[in-house]
Amino acid sequence: MGPKIGPKIGVVTFPGSLDDQDALRAIRLCGGEPVPLWHGNETLDGVEAVILPGGFSYGDYLRCGAISRFAPVMAEVIKAAEAGMPVLGICNGFQILCEAHLLPGALIRNDVRVFVCKDQDLRVESVDTTWTSDFTRGQIINVVLKNGEGGYVANEETLQRLEDEGRVIFRYVNGNPNGSFHDIAGICNERGNVVGLMPHPEHNVDSLTGPTQDGRAFFNSVFNFLTAKV
Amino acid sequence: MSCDLAKLSRSRVRLPAMARVVVDVMPKPEILDPQGKAVTGALARLGFAGMSVRQGKRFEIELEGELTDERLDEVRRAAETLLANTVIETFNVRVEAPPESSEKEGASESGDQDDEDEPTEQAELATQAG
Repeated sequence: MGPKIGPKIGVVTFPGSLDDQDALRAIRLCGGEPVPLWHGNETLDGVEAVILPGGFSYGDYLRCGAISRFAPVMAEVIKAAEAGMPVLGICNGFQILCEAHLLPGALIRNDVRVFVCKDQDLRVESVDTTWTSDFTRGQIINVVLKNGEGGYVANEETLQRLEDEGRVIFRYVNGNPNGSFHDIAGICNERGNVVGLMPHPEHNVDSLTGPTQDGRAFFNSVFNFLTAKV
Repeated sequence: MSCDLAKLSRSRVRLPAMARVVVDVMPKPEILDPQGKAVTGALARLGFAGMSVRQGKRFEIELEGELTDERLDEVRRAAETLLANTVIETFNVRVEAPPESSEKEGASESGDQDDEDEPTEQAELATQAG
């Protein structure tokens, strides 16, 4: 048997993306085939899942993610997401998913009014998504958090629906770093194929550069999902 | 710059009709406004007492062509699509007088002053949305 070829996972680079290279590297380290995607292209190059990485796409002009949300590649991402393709938005990617209405609510400036950069404890609240099936429910993980606008807000009705449907998938524990409602760090769509979170799992895949390797489970989850589907 | 525009519009060259439409975007009252809070705190430290600030955005749109209800609707659609995120913000669209009519009034720094005798200065076509 030859070497196993992992699933093709695309990472979109927008002007101002910062963590696209780390996301590509994480996919490779975890056994997938990383595929760089360009924001200006109208194709997903045959990938099986897409990651929208962290950074400051379009300089955060207007609102974080507001302009990237209309990049040509996003039309394809939205179409694929609605058809069930796994999509993960990390930090700025989460903001883009909210602006694109693939996820409800919005991210606003941290209530502490400073940029927060720390190793953040999170509780895994749901494993029923394509990106979190490799975790166990209630597990405490530690993942890098670094943002200025990570305060998750939504109206009461939306928050209730997210809670009732088990769509809050990560919650901040040991302190809410940014004023997010219900301590929300990450959520998913109804189908569980689109996930957005503020912390950065792609930075927690290697003992050399991260205090934990808790980010690996994100990639393993989607690999398992995609492999099982075939 | 507004003087040049005024001169141009008085010359024989016929310019296309232009209107300035202003879109104001504000965070919804129930949404925390950390920027406004920071400004509020700074004002208090500077001795400006009793000023509570909420910070929004103002977009000035030079609209080509004739100003019709359809064109204004288009601006509202643009505001709803891109300029504002109606999950967290409200917006307001209003028409401002064209540049040449403000020339007689001198500098237009008093743009927010209400002038009861000159109702045409700021066209009151404001609409609320969001």
